[in-house]
Amino acid sequence: MKTNSLLIAVACAGVFTSCAATVPFELVNAREAYRRASTGPAAIAAPAELHVANYALAEAEQSFQRDPDSYRTRDLAYVAERKAQLAEATASIANQQKSQAQAKNDYQAAQGKVVAKTKQDLSQTRSALAASERSGEATAERLSAEKDARAAADQRAADALAALAKLAAVKDEARGMVITLSGSVLFASNQATLLPEARTRLDQVSDVLLTTRERKLTVEGHTDSQGSVNFNLDLSQRRADAVRNYLVERGYQGDLIQAHGLGKGRPIADNGSAEGRANNRRVEIIIEHDSRTSNP
Amino acid sequence: MKRAYENQKEDPMRHISKTAIMVFAMAAATTAFAVGCAAPLRTEASSSGIRAAEEVGAAKVPQASLHLQLAKEELDQAKGLAGSNEKERAVSMLSRAEADAELAVALSREDAEKAEARAAVDRVRQFRQQNK
Repeated sequence: MKTNSLLIAVACAGVFTSCAATVPFELVNAREAYRRASTGPAAIAAPAELHVANYALAEAEQSFQRDPDSYRTRDLAYVAERKAQLAEATASIANQQKSQAQAKNDYQAAQGKVVAKTKQDLSQTRSALAASERSGEATAERLSAEKDARAAADQRAADALAALAKLAAVKDEARGMVITLSGSVLFASNQATLLPEARTRLDQVSDVLLTTRERKLTVEGHTDSQGSVNFNLDLSQRRADAVRNYLVERGYQGDLIQAHGLGKGRPIADNGSAEGRANNRRVEIIIEHDSRTSNP
Repeated sequence: MKRAYENQKEDPMRHISKTAIMVFAMAAATTAFAVGCAAPLRTEASSSGIRAAEEVGAAKVPQASLHLQLAKEELDQAKGLAGSNEKERAVSMLSRAEADAELAVALSREDAEKAEARAAVDRVRQFRQQNK
């Protein structure tokens, strides 16, 4: 009886001792590591590794039950903790690879958008360029036509000058092409009314001038030295006006013709002789060189 | 007569004792021989794990470097335990070394993948900014 009581007491002491065995810190860490891994991304992203960690922890727990304080229990628990950490790292790797793949897809999608927009812009630019080229061709045609027209005008002017040379004295000076008409042909002495034959001559001159109607003209009246300055100025002005007005009547654009009376101020011959004075009594029609007035 | 019988009883006991002693001695000798000629510690798994960790650059990643160092120390400890005839403890220590080496490789890879993922995201962000 006494022996039985003693044995029971020893058995209870043994049970109590094993219940109170300190859990090695390796096992504590392993349990916590597995808990963290199993409630994190590893549960989905690394299930195989998590299963291995679970198995390793179970081994450690069994060893702890058999021999709580053995090196084997601590080593098994240490390995179990590492397996749980490995599961977490594997899950992280998988998630990072997913992020990379997503970023790659996003990059390709963004590139695709840029390419599409560039293609659209390119198409618009091509259309605009084609339109511009067509416009340029039209401009080139217009320029060519203008060039042809100018060449034709220049030819007409040359023909006109050649014709004028047959009607009157024509001289190319710095101030322009100067057509000199004798005053005695155009006017009676001291008069500013055109003689009938003057009209005939002026008709011929105006026909030629009208072929170059874009040019500015200046009509200058000149006298010899006989008479007063004022008289000569007035007479020359009235004669220049008469010629101008006749040209305008004939169709030349009025705002392109000016008339000036210069009196005896610009003699071209010696006023000491009758011939000289006759030459000085004249009307000059100056066709300006660079005048390019537009046709109305 | 009695004396002859008593002598017969003493002779078998002496014979058994000598036999037992001889058997025990032979067993002891065999055991000692076996222990003296034990198979060498198999460290290939741990060593190759440590080499793999070094090759992936674990030494350059802080967390990985820690576990690489632990693996090396545990391998050395295992060799020491084997040298002290504590083979089972040595094998158990090797399992630690293998686990640490394996984790060092994984942490090194994780670091590399994180860097690549960051770079990929940055590339997308920069591209979008440049092409607003």
